[in-house]
Amino acid sequence: MNGWILAATVELGGGGAAALWGVATGPPARRLTAQNLTTSVVCPALLLLAQGYARPAYVDLALLLALLGPVGTLVFARLLSGEQVSGPNVRGATWTAAGLDAAVVVAVCAAVGPGRSMVKLLLIGTLLIGGNIIASRALAGGFRGVGGG
Amino acid sequence: MSDAVTVVALLLVAASATAAVAQRDPARQALVLSFLGMVLAVLFTVLQAPDVGLSQLAVGSALTPLLIMLSVRKVRRRGRTKEERT
Repeated sequence: MNGWILAATVELGGGGAAALWGVATGPPARRLTAQNLTTSVVCPALLLLAQGYARPAYVDLALLLALLGPVGTLVFARLLSGEQVSGPNVRGATWTAAGLDAAVVVAVCAAVGPGRSMVKLLLIGTLLIGGNIIASRALAGGFRGVGGG
Repeated sequence: MSDAVTVVALLLVAASATAAVAQRDPARQALVLSFLGMVLAVLFTVLQAPDVGLSQLAVGSALTPLLIMLSVRKVRRRGRTKEERT
């Protein structure tokens, strides 16, 4: 067990437990926020695991999740539009998750070194943080004029 | 010691599956279900089956919630129009 897998374990345990608690309890707005943050918790864990197992192919899972996670959140934001209200701490949680994602991507990039895989990692980081921000803005009602109904 | 990450992923899967069953509202169940799909993908990765994890991720994170939410919306809408008719 190396440091990468240990970091993934800690990150998955803490973040996953928090996201599960948020998604299973509380008002609908908090559940939606927690569902959005799940992507930001699980994707860095997959990156750390790929680095820990020394299998660059495992990065594909993180890429797919960075693409599909915000799509899933947008599905909920669109179809639950009757009861969505922005929670008070949405912005703080979003930026905390974005900082965590950026830190993990930078750490894995530093370990990988320059090359094609580093470009892939940077793409994943951009997709992850951009998707997270877009999805949380949609949850806060920023696109209500576009997606109403 | 190296099984710690497996244990964490298994515990998360078990807890989220129980939570998904314990919810009453289908929309909330779908929210917990998408969390469960992502954690299951991590579990498959930890067990060295990333191909299974890849398909689980594709199905579990976006497709299953979409299907459930669409059917919930259709059922609610049908119920509403029936109420208006009677």
